[in-house]
Amino acid sequence: MKMNLRKITMGLGLSIALVACSKDEEIIVVPVSAITVSNLAADTVTGLGVDGRPQSAGTTTYYSLVDNKVIASTDAASTKWDIAFSSTKILVNSGTSGPGLGGAFVYVGLFDALKTIPADSNFATDNANAASYAIPLGSGKAWYTYDGLTTLISPIAGRVLVIRTATGKFAKIEILNYYKGGVTLPATASVNDKLFKQRYYTFRYAYQPNGSKTF
Amino acid sequence: MKKTPYLFLILVLFQGVKLSAQSRFVKDTLDVSGDSVVVTATRTERKLNNLTVPVTIINAKTIQQNGSLRLTDILKEQTGINLTSGFGAGIQLQGLNPDYTIILINGEPLVGRTAGVLDLNRIALGNIKKIEIVKGPSSSLYGSEAMAGVINIITDATMGAPLTMGLRYGTYNTVDANLETKLQTKHFQYQGFINSYNTDGYSIRPNSNSRVTTPIDRYSTTQQIMWDQSSQTNIVLNTRFTNERIQNEIAVANNGITIFSIGKENIKDVNASATINHRFSKNLKTSLRTYTTTYDAVQNLLTINGLPYRDVLNHNFKRIENQTDWDLSKKIQAVFGVGAVLEGVKSSRYDSEKVRKQNDIQYAFTQWEWKPSEQFTLIGGVRFDQNTQFASAYSPKLSMLYKLNPQHQFRLSVGQGFKAPDFRQLFLDFTNAAAGSYSVFGSAQAQQVIAKLDALGQIGNLFPNYYLLKALKPEYSNGIHFTWDWKINTLSAVSLQLFRNDIKNLIESQQVGTYISGAQIYSYLNIGRAFTTGFELEGKHTINSNWSVNGGYQYLRTGDKDQIAEIKSGTVYTKNSQGYSRLMKLNEYVGLPNTSMHKLQVKINYNSPKGYYLNLRATYRSKWAVNNNNGNEVFDNGDVFASGYVAMNSAAGKSFKNGVSLQAGIDNISNYIDATNLPNLPGRTFYTSIKYQLQQIKNNKK
Repeated sequence: MKMNLRKITMGLGLSIALVACSKDEEIIVVPVSAITVSNLAADTVTGLGVDGRPQSAGTTTYYSLVDNKVIASTDAASTKWDIAFSSTKILVNSGTSGPGLGGAFVYVGLFDALKTIPADSNFATDNANAASYAIPLGSGKAWYTYDGLTTLISPIAGRVLVIRTATGKFAKIEILNYYKGGVTLPATASVNDKLFKQRYYTFRYAYQPNGSKTF
Repeated sequence: MKKTPYLFLILVLFQGVKLSAQSRFVKDTLDVSGDSVVVTATRTERKLNNLTVPVTIINAKTIQQNGSLRLTDILKEQTGINLTSGFGAGIQLQGLNPDYTIILINGEPLVGRTAGVLDLNRIALGNIKKIEIVKGPSSSLYGSEAMAGVINIITDATMGAPLTMGLRYGTYNTVDANLETKLQTKHFQYQGFINSYNTDGYSIRPNSNSRVTTPIDRYSTTQQIMWDQSSQTNIVLNTRFTNERIQNEIAVANNGITIFSIGKENIKDVNASATINHRFSKNLKTSLRTYTTTYDAVQNLLTINGLPYRDVLNHNFKRIENQTDWDLSKKIQAVFGVGAVLEGVKSSRYDSEKVRKQNDIQYAFTQWEWKPSEQFTLIGGVRFDQNTQFASAYSPKLSMLYKLNPQHQFRLSVGQGFKAPDFRQLFLDFTNAAAGSYSVFGSAQAQQVIAKLDALGQIGNLFPNYYLLKALKPEYSNGIHFTWDWKINTLSAVSLQLFRNDIKNLIESQQVGTYISGAQIYSYLNIGRAFTTGFELEGKHTINSNWSVNGGYQYLRTGDKDQIAEIKSGTVYTKNSQGYSRLMKLNEYVGLPNTSMHKLQVKINYNSPKGYYLNLRATYRSKWAVNNNNGNEVFDNGDVFASGYVAMNSAAGKSFKNGVSLQAGIDNISNYIDATNLPNLPGRTFYTSIKYQLQQIKNNKK
């Protein structure tokens, strides 16, 4: 029996390999490769207000996962962008944020381990009027925690943002860092560094252009 | 004799009464030896080397020669003890937080904890006879809080000079002045003590004018009267009063908003006790103790934008207790105790600062000691605490001593300790308007308050935890301590102690719901499980008649058992240096925050017959986790640690025959500073002091 089993599995492996070789050009499902975006500024701080709050211009940085580039804010009302950043707030092109087919949910697990988006996944959309976003705001809610003592933002380990793009395709994102140069600030960093080096996103993402939920 | 009733009356009027029979019959021992008498371990007088549990004694000479002013100064140089910061200076004993060690003065507990921490800088050491530290759960005798151990500060009117004056001046204009008087007649002993401590405070934060330790004026006075009413009966009265004024310059950062405030804090702490001891016969004695204490803290701040902030805490504690010691035979001795406590807190952080929250406790304990031979002692004890606010607690303990021979002694103790839910966990009613308007409600009224808010349509969601809210149970620990003492020869001795504490029912704040606005609502639930374990190795060696060295090392491991289970089940993630998430491995887990794996201290002593002395003390503490920076709520190698450090202190002095003694010292010689993690450690400081003692009179007790 054991011998037979081994032969069968060997045979199977061989046939798959052969198929894969011969049909190389026609294979549709290729694993999408991850792209890393570094230092994406998102409403960076301009100074400290008299109330002690960081001040900024209140801008939003729009990004196309399809084209891997920043989209001008004049195109905010288009389907050119898929995801947008403004300090710790992350928007998807949906609901009150944009006219696209976007949506998102937070997956607990590892980026690489998420091979297929589960069929029963529920993609939420943005509704600024109810302060409800597909990627929830706040410390410990979605992708980061805020430490009141060190005043530092840390991405939560094991969180993947699963995105439905403006055109209804799928992507997954892992936020890697929130500080300039992708370097986590030490707790002892100066107040100035903590203020002016924040709001620079480094993240990696994988985009599946064929419309399937498999990466 | 005629005057004594008046004094008695005055002291009773001065805020109730307090008792302390224990120090009465203690002999003056300058150096700790096996014959030193300990009262804390068994609530009876026992020689150190007849005890069944591990005890450390710090005597007056050590305190004085180390130049220690406040209780924190001397405790931080002990094996297995680390100082904590935040809400004053507390101590961590064998890895357990400050809430789990009970602090006694002459056997009576101090109250006035903020977030579980009792600021030990409140306690001046100028008139202390000795400090006893019992390690391991001791709730079988002391009830709540005696989970990690007991620290008992003992004063004694029966010995010492009739007049002692001391003055010390140091860096940051720190002035400490002591005046102590003692009057002794055949049947009457009195000790009065006044201490004043003033400092400008210090600032070790760069680019900041906010001081880490703020300007402080502290006054404290204690009075002790012992009166031998007859050969069978004596009365002991103790009072203590401290008054602290602290100037605050505070910068509070919350959700990125920093608010600067200035203001004043005033803390008053009054304790009074009266004890009557009566011996019916050689084998039977009893003591009746009454005690009352009030802790009153008021903080008034004015924020930079003109908003006043006021925080009030008033905690009182009254106790009456009877303890009877009955020696059934030479081999069997029993202790019986009953008592009642009335405890109440008023705070601006509760629903009304005018309404006192009350908890009444009744308790009974017994302890049986069986000594079948000179080699072997077995002690069993149990205590039961019943109260009005939370589930009752039952605390057993069993301990034994085996003297193999004069060189080797073995001790083993197994006990259960508990910590009652504190008033904050029961009654807090706090909404932080500055930080997102989240609320925290104590468990005793959370469901009621939230139901009311729900009826008003203010509640958004109720979480499953809301339905789990119920009367809080005390936190329990089971502790095992094994000690091996080896007296190698007349010059050297070592001691090894293995310990483990398993804690369950840890009370933690949990989100129970949200407001309509999405702001969180928290309350307290019994959920956590944790452990601390490790060993302590202590040794001392006398090099010659002048030089000696002693030291201690603690190895400590700690952990949250639920977190360990999560790591094992593969649901805890961490990040690598690039920010990529991956599964966390068990060997990356570092345990509970603020605990260090290693602590080492070494002390070198020089004492000459001519009265000169010199000591050099070094303490090393290894790194400890302070902040989580990968959002997994579990502390691992990738998190933020405070660096390990060495602090060195030295003091030298001379005692002259005419009663004058001089001292000079340097603390933190290497000028180690970590403003973020060690706010209580200033840079290098210097001090010098002079003390005058009127010629020693002989102890009239034999």
